[in-house]
Amino acid sequence: MENKSGSKSLSNSERIKLVQSQRKRTKYQNNMLSVIGILGFLIFWQVITITGLVGSRYLSPPIEIINLFIVKLTNPNPDGAVIGVNILSSLTVALSGFGFAVIIGVPLGLLMGWYKGFDSFMRPLFEIIRPIPPVAWIPLTIVWIGIGLPAKALIVFFAAFVPCLINSYAGIKQTSDVLKNVAKTFGASNFTIFWKIGIPSSMTLTFAGIKVAIGNAWATLVAAEMLAASSGLGYMILMGRQFGRVDLVILGIVVIGIIGIIITMIIVMIENKVVGWKKL
Amino acid sequence: MIKNKTLGMNAEERKAYYLSLLYLILPIISTSLLILLWSTAANNSEFPSPNETWERLILLFQEPIKGLNIFGHVWASLIRVFSALIFNWTFGIAFGILIGWNVKCDALFTPLFDAFRAIPPLAWIPLITIWFGTGEFSKILIVIFGSLASIVVNTQAGMSNIDQLYLNVGTVFNANERQKLFQIAIPSALDAIFAGIRTSTSAAWMVVLAAEMLGANSGVGFLITRGMDSMDMPLVLASMVAIGIVGASLSIVTQFAERLLCPWTIKRSN
Amino acid sequence: MPMDDKKIKLRLENIYQSYVVNNEVRDAVLNISLDVYDNEFLVVLGPGHCGKSVLLNIIAGLEKPISGNLYIDNEEIHGSDKRISMVFQKLALMPWKTVMANVEFGPQVTGVNKVNRKKIAQKYIDLVELTGFEKSYPNQLSGGMKQRVGIARAYTSNPEILLMDEPFGQLDAQTRYSMQEEIYKISQKEKRTIVFVTNNIEEAVFLGDRVILLSECPARIKQIYDVNLPRPRNTIDPEFLRIRKEISENSDLAL
Repeated sequence: MENKSGSKSLSNSERIKLVQSQRKRTKYQNNMLSVIGILGFLIFWQVITITGLVGSRYLSPPIEIINLFIVKLTNPNPDGAVIGVNILSSLTVALSGFGFAVIIGVPLGLLMGWYKGFDSFMRPLFEIIRPIPPVAWIPLTIVWIGIGLPAKALIVFFAAFVPCLINSYAGIKQTSDVLKNVAKTFGASNFTIFWKIGIPSSMTLTFAGIKVAIGNAWATLVAAEMLAASSGLGYMILMGRQFGRVDLVILGIVVIGIIGIIITMIIVMIENKVVGWKKL
Repeated sequence: MIKNKTLGMNAEERKAYYLSLLYLILPIISTSLLILLWSTAANNSEFPSPNETWERLILLFQEPIKGLNIFGHVWASLIRVFSALIFNWTFGIAFGILIGWNVKCDALFTPLFDAFRAIPPLAWIPLITIWFGTGEFSKILIVIFGSLASIVVNTQAGMSNIDQLYLNVGTVFNANERQKLFQIAIPSALDAIFAGIRTSTSAAWMVVLAAEMLGANSGVGFLITRGMDSMDMPLVLASMVAIGIVGASLSIVTQFAERLLCPWTIKRSN
Repeated sequence: MPMDDKKIKLRLENIYQSYVVNNEVRDAVLNISLDVYDNEFLVVLGPGHCGKSVLLNIIAGLEKPISGNLYIDNEEIHGSDKRISMVFQKLALMPWKTVMANVEFGPQVTGVNKVNRKKIAQKYIDLVELTGFEKSYPNQLSGGMKQRVGIARAYTSNPEILLMDEPFGQLDAQTRYSMQEEIYKISQKEKRTIVFVTNNIEEAVFLGDRVILLSECPARIKQIYDVNLPRPRNTIDPEFLRIRKEISENSDLAL
């Protein structure tokens, strides 16, 4: 019977070579597929617009979009502002609403999850706010405080507040009883356990909530800008539609998407710094 | 009366008893405070009082708007949601299974999908209206765009997180790829898929409102904008209440459906 | 002990297994060759989680060794073979299937018709004394009961070789003792070639016809012991204790 490598034993180097050869091939193949996927899509897009398969009323080729971006860096037409101003406007609103949501929502969730009295008190208020989608707050907010920055930030706040609270609440609730008991046997006070054990344990879920919150915030922002604003990316898209400029609409969509991705990446980086120990 | 109840208890039991009473009272206090706040605000401004809101709701039955009373509008919104969700669940789950199970498909499609996912659903509205106008199809399409991501992402996560142990059982007992997929992978991913169903339902509810607010003749979103345009504040509030109730009911129904279809997950969550 | 009159059921020849961990190569199994006789109860005993479970995974076809061959009845096998079945270490019942569905999983995926496979499954459910629990879900069963389902499942697929990967490791001591007795009784009633992995010396001597002692990582065969005691084994028999002591002193870690 033929043996693969003869009946004598394998040397160290022979073994190492056998193990390593298996792993490398698949990684390259998959990366290639991803690149093909994206390129294929872009080429497909370019082709159907250039050949007129899809009318220019409905879609602009990707190259024109890039061109428009460069133009909009300095040209305020037709919506009234250069793209930089729009981006800044949207970001300001999003980040302020989101910021407040995190600052208020996360501690509130942590406290509600830890102190039962606090939970009983806040619970009904929260359950009333929760089922109402953030978008539904928009008309009310407009009537209350008009259509300026505070209004938009408030709507974004509502959108981001709920996931922050829910997740930090869930996060602290699942703190392991074992850890809590260990701290108690060392004589730690309830507050100390809350601060030193409850809060760190809740970080994974809390960050998950923050990521959802920023997604919600960014999405709601677009709605808010479409309904109640005079600047910002959502507004720019609306104007694009109004003026029949499909390329402007698409540019707006692409920029919104890219900024959304960048913000998420930043949050993931922060998360890794804060709770990097969990992923080990 | 309380004294009688506590007669037989020692100090610790008494303390626990008083605490549980406190926990019962607190929510009542906060709700009452809220209603008080509401009424005061209403008295001092244009803001409608609870009473006015209730009356406006009733009025809606007698004087329907655009031919529909409140139930009619809720139904119109729900139909759009369900049409979109049926498509989403069929396509989304299938697609999620595909990219979650097959590594090559994942490499090919996921970067594209992630790019599209980063775009807030509402940003698509102007583009969709350019393409398809403002009819029912556009609205349903918008809801589809808005809720597809949740179901795909959750399904994919469920498929990627299958315990290798179960797949090993399949290998040892000589199951082929197809059997492993349908008998092991998919059942194993069911609770993640249901999480996706829940998330996509609530996402769909939110998006349908926005879509209706931006241009419709029926639906609860339409009601809200109608209220805003005609400065009919009680209508706005009444619609918000209706929206909240329907939204909450939807999530209760989906949770119930999950318990029904996945009986083995009930005990696990304890 | 004359080995020529015994038929060799399973043979491992020069098995090597290594892994890449953090850009370093770690060896798990170094040149193990082993003969398993027909219908013997072979116990593989070793410390920690290195080597013995890997060996079992290789036999079961869950891993491919970087070098070496396996033979059943002198015929080379590749990957998972229909003649081999396994009882897993961690409770590996599929929670979404009932007990019956779990037990009949093997014949179900290999296309045995419904009537026949239910008959076989029922036979083994009765054998492990779980009659009446056919429609229960795994999360309604205790640890010992779940493992009995695992055993019934392994037998139902009609194997010639049964692998058992520390099947009682997750059970409490009491249940463990009673399961050891049960597996002994079952293996007497339904004779198969069994390869049983454990890290517990007493369990090894109680159950095995032969005990293979592995070194610590990377695993090599240290010694093979023949346990010639009459069955059922008496754990306080002086000869039992002598063998136990001998193995204990020879092993790499305190077991």
